[in-house]
Parts: sequence; structure tokens; C-alpha cells
Amino acid sequence: MKVRDIVRRAGRSLRQAKARTLLTSLAISVGAFTVTVALAAGAGGQAYTDSLIKNNGDARNLSVYIRNDSSKSDQPQEHGTASEANRQGLLSGSDIEKLKKINGVAQITPAYNVSAAYMTRDDSAKQYDTPLSIKADHTTLPLAAGSLNDNQVSVGGVVIPESYLGVLGFKSAGDAIGQSLIVHIEKPSLMVGGKSTEAMDKTFRIEAVDKKSSTILHYQSALRISSEDGKTIYEYQTAGMPQSDQYYSLDVQVAASADVAKVQGSIKDAGYDVFSLQDIQAALFTFINVVQYGAAGFGLLAILASVFGIINTQYISVLERTQQIGLMKALGARRKDIGRLFRYEAGWVGFLGGAIGTLLAVLTGLLNPLIAQKLNLERGTELLQFNPVTSLLLIAGLVLVAIMAGYFPARKAAKLDPIEALRTE
Amino acid sequence: MIEVKSITKTYGKKQNAFTALSDTTFTIPDGASVAILGKSGSGKSTLMHAMSGLDRPETGEVIINGQDILKLKPKQIDEFRSRQMSFIFQSFFVQANESCYDNVSLPLEIANMPIGKRHQKINEALSAVELLDKKMSRARDLSGGQKQRLAVARAIVNDPKILFADEPTGNLDSVTGGVIEDLLFGYNKSRGVTLIIVTHDPELAQKCDIQIHIKDGKVETIKTRKGVKS
Repeated sequence: MKVRDIVRRAGRSLRQAKARTLLTSLAISVGAFTVTVALAAGAGGQAYTDSLIKNNGDARNLSVYIRNDSSKSDQPQEHGTASEANRQGLLSGSDIEKLKKINGVAQITPAYNVSAAYMTRDDSAKQYDTPLSIKADHTTLPLAAGSLNDNQVSVGGVVIPESYLGVLGFKSAGDAIGQSLIVHIEKPSLMVGGKSTEAMDKTFRIEAVDKKSSTILHYQSALRISSEDGKTIYEYQTAGMPQSDQYYSLDVQVAASADVAKVQGSIKDAGYDVFSLQDIQAALFTFINVVQYGAAGFGLLAILASVFGIINTQYISVLERTQQIGLMKALGARRKDIGRLFRYEAGWVGFLGGAIGTLLAVLTGLLNPLIAQKLNLERGTELLQFNPVTSLLLIAGLVLVAIMAGYFPARKAAKLDPIEALRTE
Repeated sequence: MIEVKSITKTYGKKQNAFTALSDTTFTIPDGASVAILGKSGSGKSTLMHAMSGLDRPETGEVIINGQDILKLKPKQIDEFRSRQMSFIFQSFFVQANESCYDNVSLPLEIANMPIGKRHQKINEALSAVELLDKKMSRARDLSGGQKQRLAVARAIVNDPKILFADEPTGNLDSVTGGVIEDLLFGYNKSRGVTLIIVTHDPELAQKCDIQIHIKDGKVETIKTRKGVKS
């Protein structure tokens, strides 16, 4: 018999037992549903984590600190064996030189500690306090207006927070772009509590306006300037001071071609403490994967349970249709044809179950806005992300599993003795 | 020509052994109508199963057109049945949930006939039994006589050489039974198809060219009507 004819006949006999077919497929659809939702949630979770990481830090950025050697940290070191900076748990220019030699290190920016006295639009306008922050890494900054090249502030440019717009007298975020902003910088006095005697005004061009986002774990309203400008201000503020050339930490940018973990290892070997967002990212992904595989595992168990349902249903189907099998054999149908008829019938059940389960799962995707709202996520965040290719593969897989489950009932049907089957008494 | 040569078929083993057929021999010429007569349990059904290759006797030969079908592989016997033989049963065995069209289509599908060629054959078979107007009706909606006519259509659709009928009128009243008999004998005469009817009805048997009486697994008598070559 032709495969087409067998598939058609298999489908037709399923339509005869609608309730039984539907119930058996529903059992499979539970498994298909669980697996699909688990995979969708996993994909959504990874995408969300990805955006979370991107908005909170740069995966190619390493923070380097002086090594807090656990075995020695409690004991004081002998005087004169460490540099002035290292003695105080700080890094210095010599450390920068040392790190620069490590393969894969593209750029090192010290964490310059700078401060501004106030900011103002021009001399006559009001003056406002503001923190000054240096954007050294390539972390994505959610912007309300303007644009940044490679997520870096250009020299002489500044990114202002959306919340500053009103006091600075801008009607909208777009209004502020290209306008200038004066930052007043004072050189601190050497005397404790003394008034500063030196000061300078630095004019910045507003390059972009950033905004708060739910994916940013810690958001600070501050003026963000480039490392180069930060360095200039730092050098101005610390010139002649004892704390010049001393940094709490260094930002190391890893070259695009280098492996972050490898560079991290080399820096560690050189005697420093290193932290990277990749560590956190890897830990989060592992967690998501564990949850995802757990849920998918339950789905697979449900599918396994439904396999017995298919076998049972098909055995009943064989019993019900002994006469049909006998007739087909009398008419010259081969064992292979009869076996196929029942295996394809099981395959149809698998297809139906897979399709119903996947469809229901995709429908839960409509709840995405509700989920985002309940979890207080950014609007438009999709925590359930469905992949059509995966769904099709899952359905195809279920058809295969069902066909395999149909093997034993199909064998029973194929082996049936036509004479017995056609006995009417 | 069908030659049955000393076939023996036993069911069960040792003490429980039951001989359904013992050393049965006869010959049926092509195009003849044959009645295999006997009481129930006489072995007449076993004989039909052996002649059609559904059953395998322990000894003997069933030679159809020079080929001993008992020596064929299962696959070849299936192929042989599909191309040369056809069956009609007492309880019709039409598929109640399928349309008349699909019922008649089954032997063609089994014989692997291309889809394009089937349509005309099915229509011809259905009009031969005057069921063309019921083409798309489900078989369960037919009366008993119509069901057996449908079974006849299914039996003749693939132009068999041998047509087996197992008590074809057993479940029908005499009028509808008569219609089926006319159909079968008409087909036998017009197409030269060998018709083998298994029955315990002497009236039906008398309409056949050859009557083979079976008793306790043995051929009792073979009567050939005058004017028929045997």
C-alpha cells in the first residue's frame, strides 16, 4: 500500500474514535505544553539576564584590586617592603605599567576619584550640586535622547540624567543635546576644613540624556564624563597632593579578540584581585538552565507517561478492528502495511497532542505583558520567548515517539491470524 | 485451473489433534462455478482458506495456473491474493464508518494501484451492483442487502480471477439473497471468473456447475452438471 493511503486510513479511523483520540492526545499535550513553556521561559530568562548584564556593566570589563591575600592580610608586613600606594591597599602607576604588559589587555583606566563643586548653564544662572562620574566601561546606557559612540562619552562631552532637565531649564531631552554645561571644579585645600583657593570652570557639551530603567540594578543620577576628562580633572585636583597616582581600583578593558576568562586568570596570576561581570553572568545562566532543564524534565516525564496511554489506546484499537485487519489481510495486505496502519495512527495521535500542547503554550505567550507588569519589569519585556523551529522539532519528535509507542500494538495487529479474525461465530 | 492435491490440515497437537482436512484432492476448471457443500465443522471453510493461501495445510499442493501457492513466500501469497483473488463473507465485513467509495477503494489501495486509475474502477464496480447513487453514503447507513452488494463491488473492483464466497446469502432473506446470487453468477458467466461458493444451502449449490460435498474433512462426492467439462 502507498504511504499516502495508509496515512489517510489511519487518520480516518482516528476520527471514528474522536473522544478516545482526543483524550490520548491531551495526555501528550500536557508534556508538550510543559516542555514548550519551559524552553520559552529559559530563552526569555536568558534574554532578560543578557539585557540586565549589558545595562549594568560591560562583560569585557574587569575590575582590578590590590590582592587581599587571605594568609597574610591579618599580619602587618615589614616596613619598607611595599610601595607607598600598596601599603595603603591602593594601586599606583607602577601597577598600571605591569598590567599593560599582560596579553589581551586593551586599555586600563584608573578609577579616578573626582568631584565637582557645582554645575551651571552659564555664569548668571543658578548653580546646582551634582556627583561627577567617569564612564570608563562600555556598559549600555539607556538614553532618552542623543547617542553615544560605542557606549563611550567623547572627550569634552557629558551625559546628563533625565531628572536634571527641569532644573537646567530644558523643555525636553532632545532640547538639551548639543547645549553646553559648565562644571565648576575646586582644588581641595591641604588644610583640613580649609577653604579651597584654586578653582576652574570646565565647559562640556551635552552629548546625551540617560534615563532610569528597571534593568539597571543601581542607578545614580550624575554627570557622566569621559575617562580622558576625568584624568585631567583628577590630575588638576591632586597635583602636589600626597594621594596623587593612587587608585582604589583599575578598570581593565579586555581586547575584543581576547578571551575574558584567560585575561582574568593572567591578572590573577600577576598578584591582583579581579572581578568581572562574566562571573555573575555565568552564575545566572547556570541557574536559569537548571530551572529550565528541571521544568523540561517534568514535561518529559509527562510525555513518558502519555506513551503508555498511546500503547493502551492502540491495543484497544487493534482489538476493536480485528475484522478490518482480517479483511485487509484476506485482500492481500502485507504485514508491513497493517503494522504501518497502526503505527501511523499512533503518529497522528502524537502529532495532535504535540500541536495542541504547543498551541496552548504559545497562547500563554499572550500573558507576557501581564507577567512583565506583575514582576515590575520594563514594559515590552517578554519573559516567554517561543522559537518556531524548536516547536516544530518538538512536534516532529513527539510524532516519532508516538510511532515508536505504537510499535507493540502494531506488531500485534500485523501478526493477527486472518482466519481467526474473520471467524464470525 | 485449480488443482487441489491431497491436502491435509490438522489443528491442535497429539491427543487433542483434530483433522480438519484429510487427503483432499479435486480439480476446478477455469471459469467454473463451484459449490463446496457441507455441514458446519465439516472442513469446508478450512478448504477455502487453504485454496486461498490464508491457511497452510501440512501436506499437499494447491496448484493455481501451474503454480503451487503453498510453496510461495508469505509476501508472494499476499501479492497473489491481491491480484488474483477476492472474497465475499456471510457477515459482509464492510467498514461501517467508511463511505461506499472508500470501502471499494481498499483492494485497489492494497494492490498499489495509482490514485488516478482508481476512480473509474470504483465507479464501474459500484454501478455493477447499482450502488453508484450511494457512493458517498456511509456503509452503516445501508440495508443488509445493500451491504452485501457493496461487498460484491469490493470483490470485483480489481478484476479477480477467482472469487470466493463464504455463505454469501446466509444473512439475507430469500429476495435480497436472490439478487446477490444473480450478481455472482452473472459475473461468473460474463467475465469467466471462477466462482467458489462455500455453503450448506443445497438450493444455492444446485445452481453451480460443480458440487463438492465435504464430510468430516473428506470429499464425499463431486457432482458435475451435464455439459460442463471437468
